[in-house]
Amino acid sequence: MQELLAEAAAELFSRHCPPALVRRLRAGGTDEGLWAKIEEAGFLDALRPEADGGAGLTPAEFLPVLLAAGRFAVPLPIGETAIARALLGGAAPPGAVLIAMPAGAPLQARIPAQRPAEWAVLPGDAALLPLADAREIDAAAPLERRLEWPEASIGQAVPEADWLLLGAWLECAVMAGALEAILESSIEHATVRKQFGRPVAGFQAVQQQLSVLTEEVFAARMAAQLGSIGGGEGPLGLDRARVAAAKTRIGIAAREAAAIAHAVHGAIGITEELDLHLATTRLLQGRALFGSADHWAGWLGRAYLAEAAGDFAGTLDFVRHHLAPQETA
Amino acid sequence: MIAALPLGAIPAADEAFRGEIREFLRARIPAIPPERRARSWMGFDAGFSRALAERGWLGLTFPEEYGGAGRGPFARYVLVEELLAAGAPVAAHWIADRQSGPLILRFGSEAQRRFHIPRIIAGQSFFCIGMSEPNAGSDLASVTTRAVPEGKGWRLNGAKIWTTHAQHAHYMIALVRTSGTAADRQKGLSQIIVDLSLPGVTINPIRDLAGEAHFAEVVFEDVLLGEDALIGEEGAGWAQVNAELAFERSGPERIFSSAVLLDCWAGYLRERGADAATERLLGRLLAELATLRALSVAVTARLVAGDSPVVEAALVKDLGTSFEQAIPALLTEALGADPEAVPPTALLRVLGYTAAMAPSYSLRGGTREILRGMIARGMGLR
Repeated sequence: MQELLAEAAAELFSRHCPPALVRRLRAGGTDEGLWAKIEEAGFLDALRPEADGGAGLTPAEFLPVLLAAGRFAVPLPIGETAIARALLGGAAPPGAVLIAMPAGAPLQARIPAQRPAEWAVLPGDAALLPLADAREIDAAAPLERRLEWPEASIGQAVPEADWLLLGAWLECAVMAGALEAILESSIEHATVRKQFGRPVAGFQAVQQQLSVLTEEVFAARMAAQLGSIGGGEGPLGLDRARVAAAKTRIGIAAREAAAIAHAVHGAIGITEELDLHLATTRLLQGRALFGSADHWAGWLGRAYLAEAAGDFAGTLDFVRHHLAPQETA
Repeated sequence: MIAALPLGAIPAADEAFRGEIREFLRARIPAIPPERRARSWMGFDAGFSRALAERGWLGLTFPEEYGGAGRGPFARYVLVEELLAAGAPVAAHWIADRQSGPLILRFGSEAQRRFHIPRIIAGQSFFCIGMSEPNAGSDLASVTTRAVPEGKGWRLNGAKIWTTHAQHAHYMIALVRTSGTAADRQKGLSQIIVDLSLPGVTINPIRDLAGEAHFAEVVFEDVLLGEDALIGEEGAGWAQVNAELAFERSGPERIFSSAVLLDCWAGYLRERGADAATERLLGRLLAELATLRALSVAVTARLVAGDSPVVEAALVKDLGTSFEQAIPALLTEALGADPEAVPPTALLRVLGYTAAMAPSYSLRGGTREILRGMIARGMGLR
């Protein structure tokens, strides 16, 4: 089932979301029918309960779609929209939804840049508002925008939920997918690019770096799987501690891995022409949004210290009870 | 290329074993000072190993027909995880239980199995591994210790080095040359079992930088061995050694070497509180530990399924030893961040030992650079 979903998503994105379209979408161009294809595939209703007309997938079951979206750098908010539909049910509007982060005042928000959408969830205002109504309140930064909505903007109420947690989980999944893309690209480049008369992959210094990149990508993928395990008290059954661990570990992996990928690609990796930056900028964005590794590591550290100590209540027990690779009974 | 690892899970029956182990440990561990427990799988205590043997916990995965418990890899995973997280002194039986026993079961003759396996399970036979030599470390195929046929047996000459706890072991399984020369590389190598009490064997303990002698040099001068010394096939030593090394990668021993330090520090933070930076450091280490453990469990699940995830195991070992080494490095900084704070000396003793010995974590059983070479090969780069 998960393999089928992974294949279906990869097939769809490889055919309908080529790098050229990713670039156009990020620059605000039209989606050329991509969103309709995603809708048709059922991904946007995947997290909605079956009783509500959705596929009723758990976060773990939906993970392959998000990994594939990350791998192909799909800039549309598939996960965010699927979450909004799951939490709003029939009240969810058609169109793409973003999750915003607070910007310090009511009706103001930080939203990810280069992610075209029609709606934004403002958790602090418990509202879903149309992006068409918003105005920029500050010059856009490369990876995020500052928006403000007028009081008169008509949206709809959204349920109270831990939207930061939901956003963090989505970033984890998409980043783990983007990491797979930079690993593939780095290995491909290293085996094709020749220097000193042989592929750069033939040099031990490069091999060792690529091995570290592989390790980080494997760790990130495992952390994403760990973060998607259900049975928790968060929305969609997500578990706060596991998402915290995942966002922390994947943030670290993204930093290390992107640096190695760029080092391996050399100067051509800095060009607009090469696709590498589609993944590495997405990684930068993911690291910063919905709480960086530092935010979630701090939360996890406090969670540990808040637990009563016992004679064997060490780090292994904390990991076994809260961060095990299986739902805790 | 290698595929991503699916999540694995410890079966409930094996998880249930944990309570019994913990009860056993609760009666013994508190009496051992933390700086001794920090020795992790280098801590030698024959009495402790025999107490485990009395419980039937040595050779847990060995077949019942040889006296083993016949349990699966996950039962052993839980046992090892508990022993290492607690800092139990497991060194006496460690090599025999983890590597030599499985090797004898897989490649040994029926007579060798009947002789050695019950003694390993009883905690009577401790083993060490003779791989490195004074001039052969990472380049293991260049070993020059030689066993020459003599009568029905062998005459052994040469030397092994960095052999963990050789001075306490009864037997060594050594990789030696039985034909050809060093130029033949992997060809002509064999594994032999050497009874370390034989005439001609000299063991010279080597003092380590922590002031102890956890390893030794072992010199062989005309040591006469019987025909039953050869284990497996003559000339198949290289393949056997590689199979053996696969036993020792990716398990809990590549995650928990600094566990006692981490837990002592976390306990100290519980008592005195932590600032924001320290909370983040603790959280980061927990996130890394959780991910590593999930990877390690996933590799074990693949082993249980009958696969041979050699590259994945190398990957988990390299990540694991980096984590183990990061703990003393980061805690050295954290504990000195505030010159006004006075950390307890018990904690500093644990830190002192762990920080000093941590470089060995990425040397033993195959260096970091060798492992990364294996991963690169697995990714099709060489």
